[in-house]
Amino acid sequence: MSKPEFEQFLNDSLNHKQDISPDKDLWPGVERAIATGQPEQTEKPNHGWNKLAAVAACCIAALLTVQLFVGQGEPNSMMAMSDYFTKQKQGLLVQYQNQPALTDNWQQQLKELEEAESAIKQALENEPENPALLQMLSQVYQQQLDLINKVHAPKWQTI
Amino acid sequence: MLIDAEQAFAQQSEHALIERVKSGDQAAYATLYELHVKRVYSLCLRLLADKEHAEDATQEVFVQLWHKIANFDGRSQFSTWLHSVTSNIAISYIRKHKSWFQKVVSFEQSGMDEQSAADCDGFNGLDKLVLRLPERARMVFVLHAIEGYRHEEIASMLDMAVGSSKSQFHRARQLLKEWYENE
Repeated sequence: MSKPEFEQFLNDSLNHKQDISPDKDLWPGVERAIATGQPEQTEKPNHGWNKLAAVAACCIAALLTVQLFVGQGEPNSMMAMSDYFTKQKQGLLVQYQNQPALTDNWQQQLKELEEAESAIKQALENEPENPALLQMLSQVYQQQLDLINKVHAPKWQTI
Repeated sequence: MLIDAEQAFAQQSEHALIERVKSGDQAAYATLYELHVKRVYSLCLRLLADKEHAEDATQEVFVQLWHKIANFDGRSQFSTWLHSVTSNIAISYIRKHKSWFQKVVSFEQSGMDEQSAADCDGFNGLDKLVLRLPERARMVFVLHAIEGYRHEEIASMLDMAVGSSKSQFHRARQLLKEWYENE
């Protein structure tokens, strides 16, 4: 028996799509994660705003810095940017030092981003004012700040 | 008529279930989970093309859903709302788990948008082919052809131009056709 034309196969497949079961029982993990919290309406009204404000402040500061350093292309842009972000990062790490992280592997993720930072800095040694590299460096710095904020002050997306 | 009545009954009981979940009833939430887990997992798997990541993302969907279910106002069907939640979480999941290089350099720049290395064993028909698609083409195909999103919506979800969404969809169809005909 010959197989149907592609269009026929596609239409039949889309009209009769089947759900797939996970191999594992995922409920125990979900149950553990929600055991400590109630649905959001029971949270303190101001709980998220302070964290949100901290994240927003970081983002604005980062944006201004990128504009300042990348836009003007001043000498030692990399050094100035590094100094600024190191202070931001240290500030966040101190701020969250007594707060439990949401995931176990965030330090590993941070390490990966720090490796990226080193690789870009190495490339910048040959081309200190390359705007694409400076942009990449600023993005990697921003990702580090986002990661630290996210694992310590998780903000659920609007759903 | 019987089907309409059954649907109405199912919707009513789901509505009651959701109200119980909103008040913090975990047993009701377990029932809601059972009703929807396969659908959520299927969508995560088709978007992520990786069983382990799909399992993680599915759990993340249900954890976030527990915290955010109060936002469901009942104006749309719960399943429609849940699919939208799931799509957004799966897309965020992909962004979070890209390597630093992929995060910094876009796929188009890097040329890394190769065929997926997904493990397709155990899947049949269209799913088996879809899981082989490159990431962007797969995501656009799943969201447009399977989930029914418009290209404008997909462009906004995936942070790409509408034209890119259309061209990725065309590319996905071409690849699927080629693979299907050569099978």
